[in-house]
Amino acid sequence: MPRTGHGLAVAGVGQTPYRRRHEGSTPELVGQAVREALADAGLTARDVDIVVGGFAPDGLAGENCPDKRFLPAACAIGRWSMRINTGGTTGIAAAYAAMDLLEAGRGDVAVVVGVERMAQANSVPAVFNSIFDPIYERDTGLSTISMGALRATRMMARWGYAREVWAQVAERNFDNASRNPLAQIRTPYGAEDVLRSRMIAWPVTQLDACPVSEGVCAVVIVRSERFEGSGRPLAHVRGRASVSDTYNMGDRVHRPIGNLEDMITLSRSAERAYAQAGISDARQAQVVEIHAPFTHAETMAYGPLRLCDAPDGPDLVRSGFGRWGTETVINPSGGPQAANPVGATALIRLAECAQQVMGSAGERQVPGARVAVATGQGGANQFSTCTVLSA
Amino acid sequence: MSSTPVPPDGDAAADGSTTDPVAEPVTIQGHWDFGYTYFAGASASRFFNELRLNQRIMGTHCPTCDRVLVPARGFCDACYVEIDEWREVGTEGTLDSFTILTTSFPGLPEPPTVVGYVTLDGASTALLNAVHGIDLHDFDEAGALLLTQPRVRVVFSDKCEGRITDFAFELVAADA
Repeated sequence: MPRTGHGLAVAGVGQTPYRRRHEGSTPELVGQAVREALADAGLTARDVDIVVGGFAPDGLAGENCPDKRFLPAACAIGRWSMRINTGGTTGIAAAYAAMDLLEAGRGDVAVVVGVERMAQANSVPAVFNSIFDPIYERDTGLSTISMGALRATRMMARWGYAREVWAQVAERNFDNASRNPLAQIRTPYGAEDVLRSRMIAWPVTQLDACPVSEGVCAVVIVRSERFEGSGRPLAHVRGRASVSDTYNMGDRVHRPIGNLEDMITLSRSAERAYAQAGISDARQAQVVEIHAPFTHAETMAYGPLRLCDAPDGPDLVRSGFGRWGTETVINPSGGPQAANPVGATALIRLAECAQQVMGSAGERQVPGARVAVATGQGGANQFSTCTVLSA
Repeated sequence: MSSTPVPPDGDAAADGSTTDPVAEPVTIQGHWDFGYTYFAGASASRFFNELRLNQRIMGTHCPTCDRVLVPARGFCDACYVEIDEWREVGTEGTLDSFTILTTSFPGLPEPPTVVGYVTLDGASTALLNAVHGIDLHDFDEAGALLLTQPRVRVVFSDKCEGRITDFAFELVAADA
């Protein structure tokens, strides 16, 4: 595979377990993940040049401007450092910022950390309502779940998706999560459990949606030429792209190109990242980690990732594509359905892909994984990223 | 302590029992209750005042892409130009997308209730608001009806105060 830029690679990963609540303080959890990532890369704090932290809405954690406290715990003292927030894409946006700084020559080693403490909020949906436009939309009671459900009903009307199809997606994600000790939900819920679970915003049930999750993911990214010949495994960044869209969801309903449920930002990110990496579609990867907080959102990504044409999505699910033991496994980690710490989740997708191609994914290791694709999705489904990694 | 029920799955705090009193986890209660005053801006102010004073729904026309943006915006973000050409749109339209809110959360509308994106006649974009008067005794049945993208009409509140909640939608066929 061709290399881009100056040759970047993930050299180490450290993750706290993902749980509904953690007893540690935010700096304690950040320090734990970062020390683990540095050790995994065979590096120490002295080797670090750049520290970029991702932390999503301050209101979720109830920590205002949390960067002051958590960046020092991520080894930022004395180093080039910043905090990033782009909602769901926060973690991968932080990684891309670190990669850009590495390519700009600011250093050779960057620590990227994605942090989430949302269980500190007594009511998560109320905080999620506050992220929407206070002028025209917040009064309608919009939250992230209803935002998702408003797309799901369009997918039902346009492509024939049904709740039963999405329940199969959940079943596969929960099956995969049962092999991931870091996953928050390790109960192997079946499709029937998903259909019977509490309806939150029709057609989305509790088990179609991600849980409230806390945890920290840390990744060490390096200029790979410095590590050539070191004998340590690296996950090379072969392609990456990020594309943004309008906030206004109602403006996308009649858009001829890039309709509300078309995920045009992901299509274009994937097209660019694939071109850099020299692949034509995600079926050439052995692992695909899709950042989708809902079952329907995962299936919405199939067309953009060129796993199938969008109208064929329901059939792709029914065929069992993406299950454990097949040629391309979707979300061997269990994906965001098994744990979705908002400020970390898109970085977790990258970290999981990196561990898969480095061969260090433990019980959830996909045998022979060489190429992996990770996505990120944030804002009002308006920020997308696609990253291609390989051994 | 929070009154939120904790699901059995994956709560590290619930798992971490300790018998050592000095290792007992300490929690500190916090509260964010800041007040804010949001300026709606020139275009939304005019949109809201038209609702309140004239019960009219107004959009702005972008001369570059020829779309009528509803609710009104002062700029078209697709063309990246300022716009200030006002158009009144119809009070009937099509329900393009919806969800039925079925679970109660603090600070959010009391379920069950429907919200949806409606494209009013003459508008190029859809507007989010409540959809009233749907029979919600069976969510799957209600969903199947709403998936047909039925026609809806605007119903204004008795007392308009210049908010998006001054109106809601209801099915046109409800009268039929």
